[in-house]
Amino acid sequence: MLTKIASRNIWRSKKRSLTIITAVSIGLWAGIFMMAFYNGMIEQRVNTAITSELSHIQLHHPEFRKEYEIKYYLPKGRKTLEIIDKDSKIKAASGRIIIKGMIASASGSSGITINGVMPAEEQKLTNLKGKIIKGNYFNPQKTNEIILSEKLRKKLKLNLNKKTILTFQDKEGNLASAAFRITALYKTTNTPYDDSNVFVKITDIDSLAGIPNAINEIAVLLQSNKLLDESQTHLKQKFPGTEIKNWREIAPELGLTVSVGDQMVFIFMGIILLALAFGIVNTMMMAVLERTREIGMLLALGMNKFKIFMMILLETFFLILAGCPFGIMLAFASIGITQKTGIDFSRFSDVYSSFGYSSIIYPNLTSRQFVIIMLLVLLTALFSALFPARRALQLNPAESLKK
Amino acid sequence: MQETVIDAHNLSKIYDEKTIPVYALNKVHLHISRGEFTAIKGPSGSGKTTLLNMIGGLDIPSEGFVEINGTNITKLKGNELIDFRLNNIGFVFQSYNLIPVLTAKENIEFIMLLQKRPKKEMEQRVQELLKEIGLEDKINKRPRELSGGQQQRVAVARALAPKPQFILADEPTANLDSVSAENLLNIMLKLNQEENMTFVFSTHDQRVINRARRVITLEDGKIVADTAPTAVIHEQTEIK
Ligand SMILES: Nc1ncnc2c1ncn2[C@@H]1O[C@H](COP(=O)(O)OP(=O)(O)OP(=O)(O)O)[C@@H](O)[C@H]1O
Ligand SMILES: [Mg+2]
Repeated sequence: MLTKIASRNIWRSKKRSLTIITAVSIGLWAGIFMMAFYNGMIEQRVNTAITSELSHIQLHHPEFRKEYEIKYYLPKGRKTLEIIDKDSKIKAASGRIIIKGMIASASGSSGITINGVMPAEEQKLTNLKGKIIKGNYFNPQKTNEIILSEKLRKKLKLNLNKKTILTFQDKEGNLASAAFRITALYKTTNTPYDDSNVFVKITDIDSLAGIPNAINEIAVLLQSNKLLDESQTHLKQKFPGTEIKNWREIAPELGLTVSVGDQMVFIFMGIILLALAFGIVNTMMMAVLERTREIGMLLALGMNKFKIFMMILLETFFLILAGCPFGIMLAFASIGITQKTGIDFSRFSDVYSSFGYSSIIYPNLTSRQFVIIMLLVLLTALFSALFPARRALQLNPAESLKK
Repeated sequence: MQETVIDAHNLSKIYDEKTIPVYALNKVHLHISRGEFTAIKGPSGSGKTTLLNMIGGLDIPSEGFVEINGTNITKLKGNELIDFRLNNIGFVFQSYNLIPVLTAKENIEFIMLLQKRPKKEMEQRVQELLKEIGLEDKINKRPRELSGGQQQRVAVARALAPKPQFILADEPTANLDSVSAENLLNIMLKLNQEENMTFVFSTHDQRVINRARRVITLEDGKIVADTAPTAVIHEQTEIK
């Protein structure tokens, strides 16, 4: 009978009920959608990092990543690469020579990472060609070509087809330098990356560095991120003595982005829920005050305090539950649509790209997150129902009946 | 010897005790026996509502105590008192008596439901009472679909349904036209006789006072008269 009264009470004040239902719908919608959006943003960030910078797995000499010294190259690098290439779980793999060095022009110099790449394989791995905004990709017939970012070009006041000087330490620790002609300019969504990476053909740099035909990095792109752990273990067994790291280990800050992002989402969610709770408490408090006389009458007739408490609690709860389906439907609909179309942030993309975020976001939500949101909403509902219900308990029948 | 239902000893209710004390009730003694049909009259502010609230356990006296069927209800606390009211006292208020979201039938069942009475007994009682109050055709109507008089009749049926020790009614006819008031009073009188139900009600209405078998007059929180003016008339109606 409590349930009967509580559920019928929902429709007593249509305006009030609609307020709460609307608030719950919007809150839920905003909460779910925001979480999905954030997921999309982070996923995009991770995907971009994997498919255009890091790849899934990287192989190095165990000492290499400490100081990036040339002498720690992979002695059997090319053989290893051949074996890896045959694995069906692997989408693409390529060898590189990575050197920390300097780029100089007439107007300045800058510390950079020189990526000596295999043009055809690198294209499959990181789609370097696709990032070019001006000029042409490496020409197999030519030597000493360099691709650098538009950003670096501006900084060093360089121009397409002009020459620039790369300087670095070779295997023996002697200074080596050579002139490279700028054949193309690239741009990614990750500004810090653009600032510090230039590309040359591996064949133009290996002899110069004193390691002809060698490789000091192998990058592996898998068919799917789900194969990460399995493939890493497999490679470790196959190539003992080689350092084999996945993207999380190579770029721990990226893993951190993911977990910080998760926390941010829940903080936002908390704010939304708090606003929601505040609205519900207020509205239901009004409802209790409006019904002072009626509650006094129920107390007089012999409805005990627990039952009165439960009645208000249930009513609040039902109202919130009534709002849930709309909110969820709205959220799923908008996620469904934007998942296909994507949300274009290119207008703000300068701001976003300075953090390494892509400008088109595809929201998505995991079922675990959905369950968590639903639980949070229910908890909020319970929490916000407590105050009006408690208020009802403080009423005194004789006084209430005079109202 | 008539069985005592209500026994109020030395009841006082003082408001604003610290500044200027207002004696809403001033050392009232009252004795009500089973089967009485008693009106409490008096000018506005004389303490009628206060007295009914005290004997109904809705408010706590400043002094004195109330015994219902031998139980000192002034000593009961919180839910104990609420449960005592549920199981012993029927209430009819001046207006907005009914639970707006429940139908006439559900309203009449309400108290019996709280008491967890068997469903069969409840059904039977509701049918019986709906017939008594002449609203068999309004069984599924919500209060707002009923007239004021019909609402008050449902309220009386609800109070009576669980067969409480007595029924308190604070100005039950105050918002009714004279025909509805007369009708309600007839029902109350009939139930008083058929079920030997004790009624105590306050009123301003002289016609209602005329139908009571005992009239208690309050003035400034004191009982100034306690008479039985219609005893003779009542006996005549019984002979008819
Ligand atoms: N909560 C309160 N605080 C202060 N004084 C009160 C309070 N309730 C009642 N009183 C005073 O107590 C006295 C008795 O009031 P009560 O309501 O019992 O009168 P009544 O006979 O029922 O009047 P009416 O015929 O208008 O209903 C009045 O003087 C009233 O002002
Ligand atoms: Mg009164």
